[in-house]
Amino acid sequence: MKKQNEKLYTVLALCILAVLVYFAEKNLDAYNLRILNLGAIYVTLGVSLNLIYGFTGQFSLGHAGFMAIGAYVTTLLVLPPYYKEMIFILEPLVWPFTVMHSPFIVALLLSGLISALVAILVGLPVLRLKGDYLGIATLGFAEIVRIIANNIPQVTNGALGIKGIPEFSNLWWTVGVAVFTVYIIKGLINSSFGRALMAIRENEIAAEVIGVNLTYHKVMSFAVSAFFAGVAGGLFACLITTIDPRAFMFVMTFNILIVVVLGGLGSITGTIVAAFLFNFSLEYLRPIEAGFNIGPIVIPAIPGLRMVTFSALLLIVILYMKNGIMGGIEFSWKGLFRFIRKIFPNKKSSEGSAM
Amino acid sequence: MPLNLFLQNLANGLSLGSLYALIAIGYTMVYGILRLINFAHGEIFMLAPYFLFYGLLIFHLPWWASIIAAVALTSVTGMLSERIAYRPLRNAPRISVLISAIGVSFFLQNLAIVLFTGIPKPFFRPKFFKNIYQFGGVRIQSTLIASVIISAIFLALLIYIVYKTKTGLAMRSISTDIETSRLMAVNVDKTVSITFIIGSALAAVGGILWALRFPQLFPFMGMMPGLKAFIAAVVGGIGNIPGAMLGGLFLGMSEILFVAFLPALSGYRDAFIFAILILILLFKPDGILGKNVQEKV
Amino acid sequence: MELLMELLNVDNITMKFGGLTAVSNFKLKIIPGELIGLIGPNGAGKTTVFNMITGIYTPTINKIYFQDQDITGIKPDKIAKVGIARTFQNIRLLENLTVIDNVMIGFHLHLKSNLASAILKFPGYVREEESIYHKSMELLEKVELEKFKREKAGSLPYGQQRKLEIVRALATGPKLLLLDEPAAGMNPQETKDLMSFIQKIQNDFDLTILLIEHDMKVVMGICKRILVMDYGVTIAEGNPAEIQNNPEVIKAYLGVDADYA
Repeated sequence: MKKQNEKLYTVLALCILAVLVYFAEKNLDAYNLRILNLGAIYVTLGVSLNLIYGFTGQFSLGHAGFMAIGAYVTTLLVLPPYYKEMIFILEPLVWPFTVMHSPFIVALLLSGLISALVAILVGLPVLRLKGDYLGIATLGFAEIVRIIANNIPQVTNGALGIKGIPEFSNLWWTVGVAVFTVYIIKGLINSSFGRALMAIRENEIAAEVIGVNLTYHKVMSFAVSAFFAGVAGGLFACLITTIDPRAFMFVMTFNILIVVVLGGLGSITGTIVAAFLFNFSLEYLRPIEAGFNIGPIVIPAIPGLRMVTFSALLLIVILYMKNGIMGGIEFSWKGLFRFIRKIFPNKKSSEGSAM
Repeated sequence: MPLNLFLQNLANGLSLGSLYALIAIGYTMVYGILRLINFAHGEIFMLAPYFLFYGLLIFHLPWWASIIAAVALTSVTGMLSERIAYRPLRNAPRISVLISAIGVSFFLQNLAIVLFTGIPKPFFRPKFFKNIYQFGGVRIQSTLIASVIISAIFLALLIYIVYKTKTGLAMRSISTDIETSRLMAVNVDKTVSITFIIGSALAAVGGILWALRFPQLFPFMGMMPGLKAFIAAVVGGIGNIPGAMLGGLFLGMSEILFVAFLPALSGYRDAFIFAILILILLFKPDGILGKNVQEKV
Repeated sequence: MELLMELLNVDNITMKFGGLTAVSNFKLKIIPGELIGLIGPNGAGKTTVFNMITGIYTPTINKIYFQDQDITGIKPDKIAKVGIARTFQNIRLLENLTVIDNVMIGFHLHLKSNLASAILKFPGYVREEESIYHKSMELLEKVELEKFKREKAGSLPYGQQRKLEIVRALATGPKLLLLDEPAAGMNPQETKDLMSFIQKIQNDFDLTILLIEHDMKVVMGICKRILVMDYGVTIAEGNPAEIQNNPEVIKAYLGVDADYA
């Protein structure tokens, strides 16, 4: 299929997406919009984790830490000074945060950049570790970030957290950032840089001997991944309008990890599908907690049953679908048409010869 | 710092450390055999005091029966979690088992919420454990002495099992090479189950001792101690049982002394532990007692 | 007659791992165009020498020079850049990547584009990618692997995996090529093909080659100079005839298998 055609299809799809977003924003209620927004944010989180883990092979469990950094940076920048003065009741907010105020997009960009910077500082020593050791080291990092956030009330309002964050994140922002993230990371993967990352994943020693600078590639991949995690953190803060350190416990990283693994490591398409599936399932399992009947058996309202069911379902999926939902297949226009042609053997044959 | 206060802190550290050690042993044994970080181990630790609580208060069993039942039930839970959630994934990519472990962890936590509610329950302390002994200026609770003595007994028992019995030999064999062990007619499944039972039993004992010391039960009580015990196992050398013991003691002491010497930073006590973890991983990744196994090029 | 510059000068290096001495006082000077064999029983330290030359280990004592530049302890990716390439005893291919990707990575160290132009697909970057693709195809054609270009490298049969690894090494544009047991696991026909292949690439790519091998047909057949190691020490050096008749060598190694005629 010619490159021009592929670009055309992509642009067309984006236009359709824009139209869908427009109608969704206009017509859906807040509850459903929240779920869609979360789904889109999880796409950004998942694709960025996939970059460092699925593609570069570095088992990082620190994503919540970068998200937290991004969330707090965005919050502090996006809230007007007089409001900050009001809500920091444990200890007064420290200068220069008192005077900082910027538009949403600047806040998001800065969140990303600062997260990326922290990633470089942390990554330089820590990315020398491999496998499980890297996992727990990055987990330790994320926990340290959270604990620091809890203990510096003069910057974060400590355990009280920050409420009343303006709800800037709507579908245009979340989906827009998700599309941007996919565009950038896909571009990265389908390049010589991406090839080097995958070489590192496959066999570090071979990659090094062929001339790939391990440190540079690992740290850069980590930094880009952290950038998007930070931006997602900012979007998250301005979606749920309250943040406190408890939102960034290990559960958050684990959720993102589930999305990436279920979608299939190294499959961006899989991550996108899994991100929405994950959020939809969590939400639509809520009715279980209100009590229901299975034939003659009455199950009363039990709080917490939703999460029990969800964890059980998760375990079942893990046990039976080891390569992820998409089985490692990546979406492409060529692949889509080939698939359609398989189902409808004659209809698209003219299209086929043109490719 | 006056001497008696220092000794008091040391004693506290020793006691906390021995609790971490009991839990850490379970992590290290499972990692040694299956190369799996059993994230659900902290929840096993959490279940034991709950079982004991219900045994005493709801079923009105005598003390000794409740303890035995609690430890037994907890061990069975641990063994079952391996059977149901880990064994089927033994040949799957490692990340699957890891996620499964985390899944089991969340499942057990939420199950605890459903069964026992999330409201913290006060654990009661029998008269025997309320004694406080005085040595000079140092006050030592009997729970403290109990934890140290009991941990020491179990460690000795464990070392006997691992180094002097056939089962222990099987465990050591599997941790070196699981496939070859199978070829040598080692019953891998049975040995793994036994490993989980022993590890869970130790965590159960640790959980009960913990609840005697910090008498408040809540479903998430296993998370932090579990994580810290895992760090202790890494610090001592993951896969190494005496290492887990040493790591646990070291971590317990460090935590108490950190808070004792830097009370202003006490909110950072957990961060301190994580910092120790990262430093150990960077500078002595195989832990205090671990061996340096380099990849052959 | 002009004096040929030394390509590689391994200057009396020793490698100790804690209390164990793996290699002791290893000396080797190679001038451009040579094809040298390094043989010895298993565990003699041959791969350790390779690892020291390619930067995976740093010699405990003394230095290594390449084209008069001190390369001791330089990391493997820089070693590749100065012009030394190697293959591994247990093939290290990028198994889940395609055959052509494996070769294309070899050309990376000559890339000029940076990260930004790669993401944004600037014309300069796109041109470089196309050029790498064509050069990779050329290399694959030389070993008749071009029809497998989109297959996963791990799915190739063993002998072809070896060839692919050598081709990947060639992509880095080396002056010195280190081959670690390239004939391992090959049948007699494959071994013969390998021998002519090695000589061919030496010619076509103007290479100097250092070869570890156990198969004496290969070593005696194509190497002009041979070093013999045992227990980390060089016990003999010379041409094939000298080595075959050296009593030390026979004692250490050659005694049993005599079909290298």
